[in-house]
Amino acid sequence: MRSYRAFVALVVVLVALSACGRRGGSPAREGELDVALFRGGYGIDFFENAAREYEAAHPGTRIKVWGNPRVWEQLRPLFVAGTPPDLTWPGWGMDYWPLVYEKKVVALDDLLDGAPYNGSGKWRDTFEPSLLALGQYEGKQWMLPYFFSLNGWWYDKVLFAHHGWQPPRTWSELLALCAKIKAAGIAPITYQGKYPYYALGGFLIPWAISHGGMQVFDDCQNLVPGAWKSPSMLEAARRVKQLMDLGYFQKGANGMSHTEAQMEFVTGRAAMVPCGTWLHSEMREQLPKDKFQMEFFLPPVLDGGKGDPTALAIGIEPWVIPTEGKNRELAVSFYKYLTTPKKARQFVEEKGTLMAVRGSDEARKPPYLEAPAAAFRAARVTYSTEYIQWYPSLGKAAQDAMSALMTGEATPEQFVQRLEDAAEKVRKDPNIPKHQVVR
Amino acid sequence: MSPSSRRGLFVAGFLAPAVVLYGMFVVWPVAEAFAFSLYRWRGVSEHRTFVGLDNFVRLGSDPVFRQALGHNLVFLLVGGTAIMALGLAIAHAVHGSGRGPRALRGVYLFPQIISGVVVAILWMFIYNPSFGILNGSLKALGLDALALDWLGTPRTALPALVVTFVWHGVGFYIMLFSAGLRTIPVEVHEAALLDGVSGLRRFVSITLPMLWAVMRVAMVYVVIGALNVFALVFLMTVGGPDRRTETMLTYLYEQAFKNSEFGYATALAVANFVIVMLLAGLVMALFRRNPQDARA
Repeated sequence: MRSYRAFVALVVVLVALSACGRRGGSPAREGELDVALFRGGYGIDFFENAAREYEAAHPGTRIKVWGNPRVWEQLRPLFVAGTPPDLTWPGWGMDYWPLVYEKKVVALDDLLDGAPYNGSGKWRDTFEPSLLALGQYEGKQWMLPYFFSLNGWWYDKVLFAHHGWQPPRTWSELLALCAKIKAAGIAPITYQGKYPYYALGGFLIPWAISHGGMQVFDDCQNLVPGAWKSPSMLEAARRVKQLMDLGYFQKGANGMSHTEAQMEFVTGRAAMVPCGTWLHSEMREQLPKDKFQMEFFLPPVLDGGKGDPTALAIGIEPWVIPTEGKNRELAVSFYKYLTTPKKARQFVEEKGTLMAVRGSDEARKPPYLEAPAAAFRAARVTYSTEYIQWYPSLGKAAQDAMSALMTGEATPEQFVQRLEDAAEKVRKDPNIPKHQVVR
Repeated sequence: MSPSSRRGLFVAGFLAPAVVLYGMFVVWPVAEAFAFSLYRWRGVSEHRTFVGLDNFVRLGSDPVFRQALGHNLVFLLVGGTAIMALGLAIAHAVHGSGRGPRALRGVYLFPQIISGVVVAILWMFIYNPSFGILNGSLKALGLDALALDWLGTPRTALPALVVTFVWHGVGFYIMLFSAGLRTIPVEVHEAALLDGVSGLRRFVSITLPMLWAVMRVAMVYVVIGALNVFALVFLMTVGGPDRRTETMLTYLYEQAFKNSEFGYATALAVANFVIVMLLAGLVMALFRRNPQDARA
């Protein structure tokens, strides 16, 4: 029938039309900036206020700051369509490095050679070099840090003082302390079992580094053959197993999410937990009104270990400037404003986290940030678990293996072999760009 | 214009919006996704590399995919059987008149109404080894040895998820079977009772056969639900510990959004689609013949 054929033709045309997406957008007016941020524990109010300040100081600019807890999900299609924001902090859920491989973000070296927002010299020199290094690849700077976090262990000062306990600095002190804690009816150590990278970063890697020195872990991240099953890695796995066998890990920790395990710590059912300096901000609502004071300390080192006892694990959440952003100049200028020492100190005071801007730790810090700041100043060597972002499949394999180790499904030998096998797969894959640790 | 073509156009006019929307938002994206499975694509730009069937070759030898599929089949065979059995039993129980059945009728749909996300969070609390009500009850009964780390122990994680899956899903099937039971004429049951057929025999010989078509539809739904389970697993265990609860869709999510391997992820989607279609078709074919028909 004619009408039926016409109908089918109409539908086909409409479906075909719908397949042509709108490419690109209209050009932005000068002085307009689109800033997309991850809204997490620190919120985005700080950045909204900074935008207002910047607009007041630069009449004619309009900065739109927006964000949500899953902003990376919206950023992907924006990048694909070629209409990304001008400046963005995509947050922990974004797989960053593909943006670099696909040239979707600009290299920042020339910009860093320019002057900072106020003052002279190079913008580059206002940052802590160890944190800048985390955003580099093939000799270029692709991402910038803002705040940074340190990773270590936490204990409750009040609880420890009540029992006369001291945070352990060495393995032997750890064993002695755990025995006392267990006798008091408290779980000595808890961990966020559902996300094994906490345990990897809190126990395994620090003890491998303590045993054989930083080269052990640098080799792992540089995918040196055999590095993931080196004697130091094996020894670290054996130490984890030893603590398991002594019953010093909290029963049930393996299925706990990060908030569940951290609740055990905050309610005093567990004495120590590995976590980053975001712990306070994350557990803010659940903290007891008094009789609790969380305190940071470095993972206990192995007695006689070769590694530097001041070695410190750090991490950043990068900011990037998309290549297809409409207003690169304004984006850089606004970010320079955000990284002035004044704004950096303000962020430390308001949000209680350390900043990548030099001199920012002179700010008034909350009590729980004093020990981390001191640890950073004293650290002779720092490292970051970059392999998780560089090689996500290796990161997942390491997590799976750690879970197997901590449930007793894998022996330390099987554990390190699994890690080495996963590293070998990445090494052999020509489609995965390879990185080197920058020191 | 003839009356019939005018009527045809009238009908088409009402169908067009739905068909167009369906074409735009379902058919086209699915077709595009299937096309993406022939490429390697990082999902942050338009740049793609054609790799032909490489993704499918890789899928065929991927042990994680096989493991995930196996877990989906556990959801189907164990969870599905439990859902069908419980659904039938409870539908039968709420079918009668009287206070008991009427009270149950008000309650059985609650789990189904709650969104999958809330169900996952609820059951995470129930299973929590420290303060969850499951271990709390076990300890109160003196069964401390049974108070396990349900979601963190490799051998209990998948069974625990299957329980939650059944709990969440069974309400819909109770409703489906209840509607089916209502279509059985009361006279048939009265005749059976007069003949002295009662209880289980009545259920097996009269109720079940008359419910056959409904049961077949239910089984297809169960196949789809079990093979596409995602939110429950993703929220409660993220496919762990050590991939012991990995499912096809949680693996797909990981490949797409964590590994930025959109080509491989869409190949997984195609495989998932094919498997669901095959199994659903299998169910339809296997259960086409009502076993009671042969004897009629």
